Amino acid sequence: MDIYLYVEADTPLHRLDPRAKMLMLLALLLMAVAVDHPVLPGGLFLLVLVLAHVGRAWRSLRRVRTLLFIIGVFSTVTWSLFARGETPLFGPVQVEALLYGIGTGFKLVSTIAGSVVFLATTKNEEIATGLIRIGVPYPVAFAFSTALRLVPTFVGAGVTIIQAQKSRGLDVESGGFFQRLRKHLPLMVPVFAAAIRSTNQLAMALEAKGFGARPVRTYYLHLEFRPADWITAATGAALVVTALYLRLFSDALRIPGLIR
Amino acid sequence: MKELLTMWRHTRMIILVALTAAVYAAVLIPFKAIPLIPGITEIRVAQIIPPVASLLFGPAAAWGTAIGNLIGDLFGTFGPGSFFGFIGNFFLGFIPYALWGRLGFLSSGQEPAMRNSRQVVEFVAVVLVSAVACAVIIAWGLEVLGLLPFAVLGNIITLNNFIFPAIVGPILLGLLYGRVKRWGLLWTQIMPAEDISTGRGTVGTGLAIVGSFGAYVLGNWISISGGALPFAAGFGQFGDPAVVGKASLVWALAPFMLALLLALFLCRPRTDLAASAERGMAA
Repeated sequence: MDIYLYVEADTPLHRLDPRAKMLMLLALLLMAVAVDHPVLPGGLFLLVLVLAHVGRAWRSLRRVRTLLFIIGVFSTVTWSLFARGETPLFGPVQVEALLYGIGTGFKLVSTIAGSVVFLATTKNEEIATGLIRIGVPYPVAFAFSTALRLVPTFVGAGVTIIQAQKSRGLDVESGGFFQRLRKHLPLMVPVFAAAIRSTNQLAMALEAKGFGARPVRTYYLHLEFRPADWITAATGAALVVTALYLRLFSDALRIPGLIR
Repeated sequence: MKELLTMWRHTRMIILVALTAAVYAAVLIPFKAIPLIPGITEIRVAQIIPPVASLLFGPAAAWGTAIGNLIGDLFGTFGPGSFFGFIGNFFLGFIPYALWGRLGFLSSGQEPAMRNSRQVVEFVAVVLVSAVACAVIIAWGLEVLGLLPFAVLGNIITLNNFIFPAIVGPILLGLLYGRVKRWGLLWTQIMPAEDISTGRGTVGTGLAIVGSFGAYVLGNWISISGGALPFAAGFGQFGDPAVVGKASLVWALAPFMLALLLALFLCRPRTDLAASAERGMAA
């Protein structure tokens, strides 16, 4: 079972340094939340779709398309009711609140879609090495990358345990949602116990290979900033500054009359 | 606080961070398909894990829960809220072990082996504080970003964080505690005493409780009443009406967020309970 979003391909996005992509992702997040008007988040969503095309990330985006649709609709409806404005539209909804709701929907959808594109074009190893190179302490990055690798192992162990119990007659598929949930919960104990038991072996294996023996480490994966990475990073930095300017000093993309 | 930093010196603690994060994410991810607030939160059966892991692995669970939640987000809901999700989940894993044995009349004064009703009551109490702390941090953060109203998110996350762990957590912890202790993997067995902060931690405990419940009550009140705080009225008259409601909630809750931040530095976990239990058994 492949639960990862990464898509193996050789595209300009795949070739970018993970640090440059992280900066672009940060810029996307900041740009999305910088203004309330839906024009900018909507534009960002279109940009993400273009990037998904360039990075051949459609397969990963398709996996979350239902979720993205529900998020967009839910956010629009929620904020249309919670926010207030001056221009009545229908019932309790005002024009300004609806605009704000649509904008918030696009904010969430564009950032989630952007992160999916990032994960579809960046390997786990690149993320871990990228984190270390931007200053995250090695043990923290190690724990992060190890956890990322172990997730499919534990999901697989859970599936195996469920199948083993089913073969012994445990019925985990009948009944309502909460009944099925109650049947699944005891199956977490062996998964958790097996994981904890492996701690000592993992620790010994790591220490036998010199984990933490020297303060400075070398890495198999070498990251190097090339011209395309510099251009991407500079664009990302410029977008971060723009986002901060829009948020703090500009009224250009505010929604006049909106009260939250 | 000290143990949250010194734990990174111990290989076993680092492994426990990774294992907690991986198990947490592994249980979180399948339930992403059942969203409660799309893009923000879902039915989270995995919430059983943070308090149980916290009382077993201490600071490793705090980091593991935060990292595990981030990994869970990377599988479909990574967004602006993930930053506050990281901090909120950190508290979800931090508070249970930091407050165990510090809750006055609610405390059992025993190790969290879930052997009697007093331990279960204390477990439910620390789960409630951690659930509310996590919820108010995330709800406040998303209110700052203008993504979701506090009243919507704060209550759903609190219930989500509390119900499953309060019901099933004591059973899971009771099944695991003795085994983990036999394997020598309790955090107090791995970390030497000099790597753990010492003291009574009364102020830290008080700040954690006041910060959590104060923010929860005030946040709900402002969010539902539309930001009608007395001190916001003048701001509303002379300031930008677009930010009045938000500003009153964000600023009114800021002291409580500061209290939670200070609790991180001032809480002092009890490390004597497991040892006293061993002495009792030996006697």
